Amino acid sequence: MATIYLYTLGRLRGAILGWGIGLALLGGYLIRFYDTLAEQGVELTRMIAAYPKELMAFFGDMTQLFTPAGYLHTEFFSYMPLILGIFIASMAGGLLAGDEEKGTLDLVLSYPISRRRLFVGRVCALISAILAILFIIWLSFLVAVRGTLLEEISLGEMAFPLLSLGGLLAFFGALGLLLSLLLPSQRAATMFTSLLLFSSFFLSGMATIDENLEAYDPYSPFHYYQGGNALNEMNWGWLGILTGLAFLMILLAWWRFERRDIRVAGEGGWRLTFRSRRTPTAVD
Amino acid sequence: MVDKFAIETQGLLKSYGNVQALRGVDLQVRLGEIFGFLGPNGAGKTTTIRCLLDLIRPNGGVLRVLGLDPQDDPVAVRKRVGYLPGELHMEDNLNVEGVLRFLNKLRGGKADWDFVLHLAERLDLDLDIAVKNLSKGNKQKVGLIQALMHRPELLLLDEPTFGLDPLIQQEALRLVSEARHSGATVFFSSHILSEVEAISDRVGIIRQGVMTEVAETSVLVNRSMRRVRLRFKEPVDTTPLEALAGIQVLLRDSDQDLLLQVEGEMDGLIKALAALPILTMETERPSLEEIFLAYYE
Repeated sequence: MATIYLYTLGRLRGAILGWGIGLALLGGYLIRFYDTLAEQGVELTRMIAAYPKELMAFFGDMTQLFTPAGYLHTEFFSYMPLILGIFIASMAGGLLAGDEEKGTLDLVLSYPISRRRLFVGRVCALISAILAILFIIWLSFLVAVRGTLLEEISLGEMAFPLLSLGGLLAFFGALGLLLSLLLPSQRAATMFTSLLLFSSFFLSGMATIDENLEAYDPYSPFHYYQGGNALNEMNWGWLGILTGLAFLMILLAWWRFERRDIRVAGEGGWRLTFRSRRTPTAVD
Repeated sequence: MVDKFAIETQGLLKSYGNVQALRGVDLQVRLGEIFGFLGPNGAGKTTTIRCLLDLIRPNGGVLRVLGLDPQDDPVAVRKRVGYLPGELHMEDNLNVEGVLRFLNKLRGGKADWDFVLHLAERLDLDLDIAVKNLSKGNKQKVGLIQALMHRPELLLLDEPTFGLDPLIQQEALRLVSEARHSGATVFFSSHILSEVEAISDRVGIIRQGVMTEVAETSVLVNRSMRRVRLRFKEPVDTTPLEALAGIQVLLRDSDQDLLLQVEGEMDGLIKALAALPILTMETERPSLEEIFLAYYE
């Protein structure tokens, strides 16, 4: 399993560094602006109050923009699930189905590796990749807050928003993985996961201004995402719900992977079944 | 089931949706033999091989590989098997040596690296080339090496010489024969009938998911039809010959030249020919390819 884990992690190395460093620079850059923004708080609050509430719905409570939690949420954590979520959904969707479509899984699984070990090795590598990206962002926060008003936030507290983000990413990563083993292709799995990601984002955002949607909001994973607001008080229950559901989906994905055929050249895909109704041919 | 078989299947069934790929495959491959698995595209060759490794799960039937059920203990089966897929795809971010070392690690480093280098030399393969830059033939060489490198008890080779040039094809077949002489069982599918005929002890023919014939290669070739080319010293009446059971006239060049196809024993024909003035007589053994085609006509 260590061979599979290390090899998969090595393959993700470029993505981890690229996304981690890129987002770390963005986060660090935004943090350095906090002091300036806080000084102009009264004027900016008046200006923001003039914006349509529909526009602001997705960026958290704007009246809290000049608090550390509100600022970090609005400027960074409010949209980070979308950016990283699509990347993680794509990575998770390709974790097994990608290699299956490339045909490399056929060879690897002809070696004395059980499906369980392969699955666990790959999933551990994915989780490590998510944690590594979040860790790089956290490090940049620690450096960037020095000499700013945000310096009062402790190391542990600074990790809370990232933990909340990690929980949401774990949820959509697990969903992407599960769908990749249920749907006929990696591309379809990534597309459906991204669709659900955006739908959930909009549902939870709109639910803050439309009371008719409030009843549906608890069904949205974003409802359990705190982002920057975790600095005020970390909701461990919500994090538990997200990671618990992610764990459940990973178990379902494992159950499915243990029982399904390893496909090559479209075997077992929906398209083959559909075609066979018209032109029945044997499969080599 | 008795363990004298490396592979044994009974009534193996596999379908993909509405497509029935295997319709009850019964197969017995003896320990230590080279078994050629023949069939046209879509006959079920690859599906059978992938069932043996638990890459796909049959819908019914019994399956044993080296005495083990691949679904119960796939890892134990794969430890003892070397496999060359019909369509070989490898990680293309490594070079050949990187891929082989990675695959060897998956086996717990069982392969003797000197043997890997020996195989690479015999197949004329440069281990430094990046996988993404390999030609089809060179990829196939990597596939052969990874299948052979740990000296497996059973080799499952799906079209092993596909894409190789003729010289390397011969070397690949020699390696397969040497593996058998070292005690391995070889089960390989192929479209190239001459190579199956050259190295196989037995041949199985699969058609539309059913085994239509399993026989010793020599028996299969010898027992069926032959062609007999006759030249007489003078024009003769061949009606008595044509009336014999199993005789068919394929070509009549003149009253003195005749090409016959003889199915079954030659005894009747030879006795009938004894009464005729024969100048020359040649018999041609049909190739395995012709026999193979006969099963599909």
